[in-house]
Amino acid sequence: MAFAERMLKIDRRIIFLVIGLCTLLPLLYPVGLPIKISPEVRSVYDYMESLPERSVFLLSIDFDPASKPELHPQAIALLRHAFRKDLRVVAMTLWVSGTGMADQLLTQVAKEMGKENGKDYVFLGWSPGGTAVIINMGQDLYTAFPSDYGGKPTKGIPVLEGVHSLKDVAYAISLGAGNPGVEAWYVFGKDKYKFELGGGCTGVIAPGLYPLLRSGQINGLIGGLRGAAEYESLIGQKGRAVAGMDAQSATHAAIIVLVAICNIFYFSLRSMARG
Amino acid sequence: MIFLRRQLPLLITMITGLLFAGQYYVPHPASELLLTSATKWLQIIGGFALVLGVTSLFHQHAAKIRRKEAGWGYSLVLYAGMLVTIAVGIWASGKESIDGAMTLFGWIYSFMMVPLQGTMFAILAFYIASAAYRSFRARSREAAVLLIAAVIVMMGRVPLGEYLVPLSGDVSQWILNVLNASVRRAILIGVSLGAIALSFKIIFGVERSYLGGSKE
Repeated sequence: MAFAERMLKIDRRIIFLVIGLCTLLPLLYPVGLPIKISPEVRSVYDYMESLPERSVFLLSIDFDPASKPELHPQAIALLRHAFRKDLRVVAMTLWVSGTGMADQLLTQVAKEMGKENGKDYVFLGWSPGGTAVIINMGQDLYTAFPSDYGGKPTKGIPVLEGVHSLKDVAYAISLGAGNPGVEAWYVFGKDKYKFELGGGCTGVIAPGLYPLLRSGQINGLIGGLRGAAEYESLIGQKGRAVAGMDAQSATHAAIIVLVAICNIFYFSLRSMARG
Repeated sequence: MIFLRRQLPLLITMITGLLFAGQYYVPHPASELLLTSATKWLQIIGGFALVLGVTSLFHQHAAKIRRKEAGWGYSLVLYAGMLVTIAVGIWASGKESIDGAMTLFGWIYSFMMVPLQGTMFAILAFYIASAAYRSFRARSREAAVLLIAAVIVMMGRVPLGEYLVPLSGDVSQWILNVLNASVRRAILIGVSLGAIALSFKIIFGVERSYLGGSKE
């Protein structure tokens, strides 16, 4: 068997080891390369900055723990920004398996920023129906969520004062890992109830949401860990996303090198076969 | 019986389909009230669908265990996991923590479900790298274009790529904003037209597969 052929059939455990090391070493020894801010992430940040104090900010945490590494840092950065701007935060989820995680992260950031449940923020939890929940919230928020996650009736919660439906929301962001997510919030929410919408998603989904971004259907997009790192840089509170960027840089580089090597061996094998 | 099984559902589908397609364009309070009620029903049905899904999962795995099919042990683990989670969930009234103290349900969620799901997703990175090495080859011109575009986007999306090749960030942004967005938009328009056509077929009773397989 030729060397090139042997290299093309290399034990996959060696590749696993390379990727493992490329993830682990930069986490242990960070380099901290500068992160360039993309226009789509800046749009979300600028819009949040432009909101007056006590505006209603809706954060729909539409992901489960599987997408936590990418979307959790986005949620934390957005919540820190919203609380720092003294916005009224209304959080919820359309993914039942993400409910506990969403509650934990909201409570954690609120505690860190000294915010009070019910006065500065509320977690509505999850309600069955998927996209129907969005329409229902557009019609009447209190029908969709008669009580918050803690079981307290939503009517009368100070943070929801003057909020009847999605029409009273100043800015909504869906952090989506699939369906229902950003696209559902546009189709069933923004299109009919006319509130400003931004999106956050995993890196895999981001290319699919660019048509919504280019047409202005969403005003900004935070894509994957890179988007989270950009947002962390913008708010000046570097966290897990910025720390993870070195590891992502190294793994991307490793995959590019592996693909290049595989192609070199492939072509050398082909030229050997030809002649 | 045929009327109840076939014609009545078709009639209900047609009336509600036309009614709610028209409702979108009528901002009258009565029309809005109708939508509010309908979405409330949808939420209730959604809740029942969840129960139906869990029941169906139980049935499927019970049959697997009874017949001792290949991998029936995993079904047993699924059964045990689901029953324990349901029991502790009911015990904790569905709460992960009560007065700041973590419940057993919260413990299962935080220390079993969260790491397990995270691990499953993280493993993907290793398999993607292995699959890329084995299959990402410039076998044809089209494959070469795809390969070059992928490498540019991969470089442009990480700081190291932008540091080594400063232009990669802008080129990657252009690929995403122009090439990717236009192709994706074309696909979306096609899918949407298909969905509209299918909706009309369902509303007017041409497409009836949703009624089930029983013959008239």
